[in-house]
Amino acid sequence: MRPVFFELQQATVGIAGLGGLGSNVAVALTRLGPGRLVVVDFDCVEADNLNRQQYFLDQVGMHKVDAMLENLRRIRPDVEVVAHKVRLDPGNIPAVFADCDVVAECFDRSDQKQMLVETLLSRLARTVVVSVSGLAGYGRSNAIQTRRISPRHILVGDGVSGIGPGVPLTAARVGIAAHHQANAVIEVLLEQWSPD
Amino acid sequence: MPSLRINGTDHAFPGDTLPATVAELLNALEIDHATVVAEVDGQIVERTRFGETPIREGQSIELVRFVGGG
Repeated sequence: MRPVFFELQQATVGIAGLGGLGSNVAVALTRLGPGRLVVVDFDCVEADNLNRQQYFLDQVGMHKVDAMLENLRRIRPDVEVVAHKVRLDPGNIPAVFADCDVVAECFDRSDQKQMLVETLLSRLARTVVVSVSGLAGYGRSNAIQTRRISPRHILVGDGVSGIGPGVPLTAARVGIAAHHQANAVIEVLLEQWSPD
Repeated sequence: MPSLRINGTDHAFPGDTLPATVAELLNALEIDHATVVAEVDGQIVERTRFGETPIREGQSIELVRFVGGG
């Protein structure tokens, strides 16, 4: 398959978490063509995940990294993926993502998002971080925005819609946020790309 | 009245007192320390240093608040 952007073949993109955000980001980026993905998740696919995450019923029970690798290879057999089945913490984050040009923060819990973004920005010197805050519920598509916070931090989301009673995560709105994220990753990489 | 630029908007503090540290600023704004990433003049401030990082008049501060869901 011809990648959409040949310019991205030297790029490495990290995806921290393979849930609703991460599984959609991984599929979109595989179709778009960065050279290498570093995907990280310790969890297994559950039946409840199928309402918004890019897995299939026959993959319930598999580790998400294994199931995702299977799915990405069905899209693009030559996709280069480094998979880690670990729980990320401030101790292992710098090593896991050391080679990444950009990392997509695809966690679920707010305190874990904070931990990941803070660690990436403070411990890695050049990696750009694309994080997400506020994507729960349905409708209000245009409230989800992409905003540059600082040279190395881009934030996606509406900033306020957290998960809670009566505010579920839904495939369409999570997908909008995930594709904002994938789109920002591509934008960053194409801005950084130089022909030498 | 002393002011800070927070998330791109000027924010005035009544009574001539600026919060002394990032931690005091977050308390004044009633923001949970566990779910915010703070950048002061483009520099990331780690959560463990919120209490010891001073705030000065005229600084530009980004407070990114994370809500759950992903």
